[in-house]
Amino acid sequence: MTEVDFTVEVCGMAGDGTIAVGGLINEAMSLGAFSVLGFDSYPAEIRGFGRCVTNSRIGSSEIVALGEQAHALISLNDEQSRSRVPFLAEDCMVFFDSAPPTKVTEDKSLLSVLPPGAQIFGIPFGNLAVSAAGSARGRNLTALGGFAAVCGISPDLFREVIGKKFGSKGDHIVSVNLKSFDAGYEYSKSVFANRLGNIFSDVESNAASPRVMLSGNQAIGMAAIDAGLKLYFGYPITPATPIMEYLAKYLPKQGGRVVQMEDEISSIAAVLGGFYAGARAMTATSGPGFALMTELITHGVMAEIPAVIIDAQRGGPSTGLPTKTEQSDLHAAVFGGPGDSARIVIAPTNVSECYYFVLKSFQLAEKYQTPVIILTDFFLDNRVENVVAPKASEEQKACSNVFPEESSKDNYQRYHYSSSGISPRAIPGMEGFNFTATGLEHTEKGIPDYSPETHSRMTEKRHQKLFSALVDLKEPEEFLSGDSLDVGVIGWGSTFGSIVEAVQRLRKSGFSVGALKISSIFPLHSEIIRKFMAKSTVVLIPELNYEGQLANLIGHLDSKPVERLNLVTGTPMPTSVIQERIYQLMEVLAQ
Amino acid sequence: MSRQSFVIIGNGPAANQAAESLRSQGSEAKITMLSKDSFRGYLPHLLPDFISGSIGEESLYFRPHAYYKEKNIFLRLGQKAVGIDFSKRRIFLEHREVISFDGLIIATGGKPRIPEYYQLFEDLMLTLKTPQDAKLWISKLKSVDSILMLGGDLTSLSLTRALLKMGKTIQFIINEDSFWPIPYSEEIYKAVAQRLESKGVQVVHCNKIRRVTQIDENLIEVDTDTCSVRTGAIGAFFGLVPDVRFLVRSGLDIDRGILVDEFLKTRFEDVFAVGDCAQVYHPALRNYWVSIGYQNAATLGKIAASNLLGSDLEALVAPESILDVGGVKVNTSWWTEF
Ligand SMILES: Cc1cc2nc3c(=O)[nH]c(=O)nc-3n(C[C@H](O)[C@H](O)[C@H](O)COP(=O)(O)OP(=O)(O)OC[C@H]3O[C@@H](n4cnc5c(N)ncnc54)[C@H](O)[C@@H]3O)c2cc1C
Repeated sequence: MTEVDFTVEVCGMAGDGTIAVGGLINEAMSLGAFSVLGFDSYPAEIRGFGRCVTNSRIGSSEIVALGEQAHALISLNDEQSRSRVPFLAEDCMVFFDSAPPTKVTEDKSLLSVLPPGAQIFGIPFGNLAVSAAGSARGRNLTALGGFAAVCGISPDLFREVIGKKFGSKGDHIVSVNLKSFDAGYEYSKSVFANRLGNIFSDVESNAASPRVMLSGNQAIGMAAIDAGLKLYFGYPITPATPIMEYLAKYLPKQGGRVVQMEDEISSIAAVLGGFYAGARAMTATSGPGFALMTELITHGVMAEIPAVIIDAQRGGPSTGLPTKTEQSDLHAAVFGGPGDSARIVIAPTNVSECYYFVLKSFQLAEKYQTPVIILTDFFLDNRVENVVAPKASEEQKACSNVFPEESSKDNYQRYHYSSSGISPRAIPGMEGFNFTATGLEHTEKGIPDYSPETHSRMTEKRHQKLFSALVDLKEPEEFLSGDSLDVGVIGWGSTFGSIVEAVQRLRKSGFSVGALKISSIFPLHSEIIRKFMAKSTVVLIPELNYEGQLANLIGHLDSKPVERLNLVTGTPMPTSVIQERIYQLMEVLAQ
Repeated sequence: MSRQSFVIIGNGPAANQAAESLRSQGSEAKITMLSKDSFRGYLPHLLPDFISGSIGEESLYFRPHAYYKEKNIFLRLGQKAVGIDFSKRRIFLEHREVISFDGLIIATGGKPRIPEYYQLFEDLMLTLKTPQDAKLWISKLKSVDSILMLGGDLTSLSLTRALLKMGKTIQFIINEDSFWPIPYSEEIYKAVAQRLESKGVQVVHCNKIRRVTQIDENLIEVDTDTCSVRTGAIGAFFGLVPDVRFLVRSGLDIDRGILVDEFLKTRFEDVFAVGDCAQVYHPALRNYWVSIGYQNAATLGKIAASNLLGSDLEALVAPESILDVGGVKVNTSWWTEF
């Protein structure tokens, strides 16, 4: 049985159908029971102009990180595809239009910049589409047909997903697209008869089924609906907007409401209001919007009102790099805002976790009566993975608010001191459980009070509550680890996939390395992290930020200084960069 | 002034030597090499051994891609030139790209020659010029045990050796079309026939092939003026002819190959032709000669590169080493096998 680990890119201008082809590849390969991780990139400008690139990594084993070097490039626009050349494997297959409508000069030609090892497959995309289906619009499907034929992928997989994708547009559209696909497939089968491969046949994929193709943002939307979300308030911002779009489509069908607010301040205010009134509510934003929310987030901390907030990170500060990925809001999420305003911060590392973490966040917010911030990032939000279909159990959906005992009726203390710091929370309207909620410091009854004793005790109570939450927060997980390690790598968020892959590769070569995933960013499971750091001769923390924000947060847990690997390129952390850094550290150790 | 741009059409010994010489003589021009073949430069004399399985495919290729990167030469494989506009100094590629050049060396080599009469049956014949052709042989030989060889060029003889080694049955038709580029004579015929027969090859003497019938995928019947032969596959080996068809209406002077003067210049300034595709003027003979063989090709490539950079080197060949083959003057550096 052969192992497959194959990356294909599609590149074109907006309007070429680039994203559609990338999506069909993902869907078809998922149907073929492969593990798929896909990521599209658009220009920073408004969509509709400029270059589009899709990247799909397809594997017979679980794929956890993006492919760095493409084994195949489908070029729907050669001038744009020139920019992809540095990212192609030496013997990359390149599918291009061999009969473009106009002549192309060398400075715009893709072939003029390809390395000599590239295997080129010229297919008259447009001409074939015109003769098969009467229009050159299907040239992207023709290209896809060529790709399928040369790589030896069953055309039936593609036919099925094409049928699904265009089914809602009617039989004619499906048939036109199928004809274009078939034209490219048949042409390539005969013209490249001597060069056909069978990369994907003979492979028994061990990807578990059934699988669904989801982006991080879709998984978040799905989880929110499954959790019984009633109210979504938000203001559009890249890369969080697709969450609102998803919910706008599906939430009303479940009896919920999506309201576009005038800004992020009103969004978080409304979320607090919704939860205060007993309904599950959520908002999603990115760095600039999150900054606007911080004052009201601390209001939630002070008044002990639950809230679920997605911070879909992008390049910053300020407007920064709206369509680029970064992990630089960790400080803001954990520490942002006035006062000692500890709140729960969690960070999923893959699409499946996006679902389960959001599901969990409602229960955390309710039980610990505090805002819960979920840190995702552009890469995690937009990448697609074919995950085992997520499903929420009744237990996972259940309300976890701690309601007051009947015995406290008429003598209810909303902010009652308890050893866990959790005070039972009544919902307005519960007879005999009236209370005042305020952003001012307050007594157990909720009456404003600035006395040193009250502020000291209440501050401690709020922090105690957070540390109690540790029992419900996912512990750091060790991957491929051992009793002692030369290099222990700690990571969080979307970077973790690359870390695991780098560690996996190095362990295969006999190196003593391991990885620790931290998904509960605050509060931290310090003891577990400390132990991992102690058993590692060197601790490395790769992050997509300049300051080393996780390293700053946990660096003090061990006496030796941590090694940092910080990138702010706006692109996902490449596995090879981590691998290279570990090599360097091992070399130093060996001296 | 923008950097000069030199284009070499070809990736055989002539083209590679030309590119290497341009760089070694200090040219900093952009150098682009075009090859219609999608594989690396290879050593054709090893193709029979590759077919018989004595060597692996990798041994066929003579230069790693890294070489071109190191020399800053753009090697563009699988990209075919389909026309040249010499007045505007532009090359048209099959995929509709247009490349401009300041200097051009045409080194498109030769392609298997099929005598006109045999062209009727061309689609039933296997030839051998490239690794791609060799792969077709390999695939065919999986299902057939007998092969009929037509012609008798040097390639046919080394392939016969390889096929015998594989245990295949060989029949060989030798007649006046055979032995290119060596002139046919009774003497050569006898020597070759005797040699082949001593190795177990059945030599068929005939003047004409009348009919070729495909009976099924792996059986072909060949009727000649003397007998009828049944075989699994037919190989055609009548030497090579210059591969210059795409240039016939370009304004270049073409006879068999591209006519160049003793400095390898065509009638267009800064445009040279070298190797198997060229016909080089010999001032002493007052005639043009055709080049065959690696060594010749490489030497011509080197001279053209120097002349493109401003030298005035002549392609010197002793008149007595030029053969007359059916009216065509030939100089070959490929003798050793015979
Ligand atoms: C089977 C075999 C065995 C041989 N054995 C020997 C031997 O042992 N010793 C010896 O000296 N000689 C041998 N030869 C002959 C020798 O290979 C040739 O004489 C020599 O290769 C000629 O070199 P060249 O550079 O002129 O052309 P070639 O090597 O033929 O190269 C021509 C190049 O031009 C390219 N090309 C052609 N047309 C176009 C186009 N339109 N656009 C872009 N690219 C194009 C081709 O892709 C190719 O890269 C053998 C030949 C064969 C076929």
